[in-house]
Amino acid sequence: MTTGLVLLVIVAGAYLAAHSASEWLATRFLIVSGAEYLLLGVLLGPEVSGVIQASTVDGFAPFLTLAFGWVGALVGAQFHFRDLVRIPGEHFRIAWTESALVLGIATGITAALGVWWLGITWREMAVPAVAVGAITVSSAPTGIAVVSRRLSARGFLVRQLQITPAIDALVAIVAFGLVLAVAHEPPGTALRPPTPTEWAVITLAIGVASGVLFHLFVAGERKVDRLFVALSGALILSSGAAAYLRLSPLLPALLMGFVLVNTSPARDELREVLSRVERPLYFVLLIFAGAALRVEWSGWLLVASAFVLMRILVKVGSAAAAGRVHLALPALGIRWGWGLVGHGGLAVAIALNYRLFDSGELAGLVFAAAILSVLVTDVLSGWVVRGLVVSAPEPAAKTLAQEKK
Amino acid sequence: MRRLAILIVLFGGMQLVLPLGTQGQGSQTLLSFGFLILGAYTVGEIAAGIGLPKIVGYLLSGILFGPHLLGAVTEAGAARLSPISELAVAIIAFLAGAELRWAEVRERGGVLGKIMTAELVASFVAIAGFVYLARGWIPPAADIPAIEALAFAMLFASVAIVHSPAVTMALLTETGAKGPVARTTLGVVLLADVAVVLLFSAVLTFARMLAPPPGPVVGPSLLLVLWEIGGALVIGAAMGAAVAAYLRFVGKEMVLFGVLAAFFGLEVAKLAHVELLLMLLMAGFVAENISEHGEKLRHAMERSAAPIFVVFFALSGAKIELAEVGPLLPLVIPIAVMRGLAMWGGVKAGARWAGMQADDSRYVWMGLVSQAGVAIGLAAILAEAYPGRGPYLAGMLLALIAVNETVGPILFRRALDRSGEAVGSSPAGEVVPGGEPQKASP
Repeated sequence: MTTGLVLLVIVAGAYLAAHSASEWLATRFLIVSGAEYLLLGVLLGPEVSGVIQASTVDGFAPFLTLAFGWVGALVGAQFHFRDLVRIPGEHFRIAWTESALVLGIATGITAALGVWWLGITWREMAVPAVAVGAITVSSAPTGIAVVSRRLSARGFLVRQLQITPAIDALVAIVAFGLVLAVAHEPPGTALRPPTPTEWAVITLAIGVASGVLFHLFVAGERKVDRLFVALSGALILSSGAAAYLRLSPLLPALLMGFVLVNTSPARDELREVLSRVERPLYFVLLIFAGAALRVEWSGWLLVASAFVLMRILVKVGSAAAAGRVHLALPALGIRWGWGLVGHGGLAVAIALNYRLFDSGELAGLVFAAAILSVLVTDVLSGWVVRGLVVSAPEPAAKTLAQEKK
Repeated sequence: MRRLAILIVLFGGMQLVLPLGTQGQGSQTLLSFGFLILGAYTVGEIAAGIGLPKIVGYLLSGILFGPHLLGAVTEAGAARLSPISELAVAIIAFLAGAELRWAEVRERGGVLGKIMTAELVASFVAIAGFVYLARGWIPPAADIPAIEALAFAMLFASVAIVHSPAVTMALLTETGAKGPVARTTLGVVLLADVAVVLLFSAVLTFARMLAPPPGPVVGPSLLLVLWEIGGALVIGAAMGAAVAAYLRFVGKEMVLFGVLAAFFGLEVAKLAHVELLLMLLMAGFVAENISEHGEKLRHAMERSAAPIFVVFFALSGAKIELAEVGPLLPLVIPIAVMRGLAMWGGVKAGARWAGMQADDSRYVWMGLVSQAGVAIGLAAILAEAYPGRGPYLAGMLLALIAVNETVGPILFRRALDRSGEAVGSSPAGEVVPGGEPQKASP
């Protein structure tokens, strides 16, 4: 049998098994995650069974690049201004504060550890530190989505838990995209290598130009099938351009999704198109992220565990601080940050993007830590959110009644 | 025009980006692939605007942006995208098989068989005769003995009579046609797909006896061909049964499952050395006909078919080398005309033989003109089998395929419009706004 066929059979079989199991677990035990696919990738990868070889992961790099772009566009498509202005500003203030605190603290801690413990210069630590910061910031929205659907829960806390992961995603992608641009190495072919500022502008320009051009390209088009062809082309093009320039495809795609959803009359159709292949691409992303895991240093588990612990502390602490600063703790509760501890697909996308960008040992360690964090936290996120919502200081029903008044 | 202007801006943007980047992780392939999709989409819409089938636009965009003209997609890039093209063929074949109903095969199999036989015989005789008589104008055949010229003429004809299931499926999906012309054309094309592979192998064996190639014998033996066909039917049926079992017991994630099934079929066909198209046709046919839920999978795959057709035909266009096709056109166009005439006559005779109504068969020949992947594959085998003269004949065949690949979809679209089967068209061929799809014929 060819490797491709073996791979296909195993992946397809395992996917179906994992899919059936995860559905059962989600229905019965509120365990919602993509962690099972990640684990599947680890088991199939070179570190365990070797079914997926390193060369196979490299061969799938274009698909992974496309998956990054798709994830970015999905995040960008959440920010529709007309919908956002209906949400009280207090939620955004809390979310922005939480995100900024987490990014700053996690980046600072990582940079300081790198400099003082590993003896790396501040300049060299910039990219790994911001990558860790971005990974730390991102939160999985799946737990809250399932719990709010299952309990029909609404209220201040639930809404806050719905908004914060979106802001977290925005902050994470922008921070990661910009640091890759600023720290860009000069290409060998250009007459004058662009400056860091110019690389940042190029990153933003790819996203904005793609969004504007694609808006003009499909103006008036409402048929989902036609939009699917054109949007696929545009996302492949912009993601390919970013990857070709060794920039993150996440940020340009986020900007493209943002521009489109705010300018196109067919925003619902565009969202439908984006969600059509979200699952298959997400599935590929998680499996190959798991397979890309390399253990090059024996102490990795210790460091990765420390990262998981640090992330939980920073998340919960920053959320509590944000709630206190904006006087929202009576409604949210001091523990509301636990609802943001679940780590999902975006973290995997950022970590894998960073791993493909940098093949060094430190990048491998950051990637391994992110994988462990997703495996540990994503599985229990549904339970944690449920516990928070049930014991919320301001019960969902009461909040709903107040909102109606 | 707006889209064309945007495309020009994007092309300019790509030229700006290229000097700043580095190769690696297939990102340049992704860049050119994205551009090719948008380019094909745009040219397809322009083609539709002037009444041409979209797939002609996709093909033209492939030629325009491909390695031989503007170079937005390089030769290496096109080669890296070939797995996508192969996957597209697999999905198209599965969809084509799923279009056939057992009841229809039982009821109309005889009619389809008679039309196919008459059409293939007429086309084969006419093209082989024409090439044999015109051999003085074909450089490698000009000074060879008559018996060898006859062998080459027959080999040439056995490839020139091949049809294209991919073009047929793409046009039927684009137009939503399900009437008698559409069903008959699809049936004949699918049946002929099996017959031409057998015929080519038989002719190649016969040609080797008449004109033995120098050196060791290269090319498929008859036994291998029988396995390619028989094995494809058996493995395809087993795969179809497995798909039906999935539909019955799991029935989830149809789009993903459809793509995985096609990919699986592709790998199995390579591994077992069986005919890919035939295997997946059979799989689609069995899955659709033994499962109550086959329609669910077919609809899911049809929903994903539009980008597949864009990619497949754009990449097919990118492979056409205008510099090589151009000089051969004076030689090839008369053959294409002869082929068309023979098809018209053959279908007419076959329909009369089968007792089919003249109205239903009048336009069928127009749907048989297109050629694509299968013919290209057989031309490559011919070139390999006769290293001396084969490449020139294969070049002629590729030029003929390029002509038929461009003209064929236009003719088939016209046939569907004229018969009133294309969605939104009347029998006179006028476009009816908001027209409804035709009902499938029994």
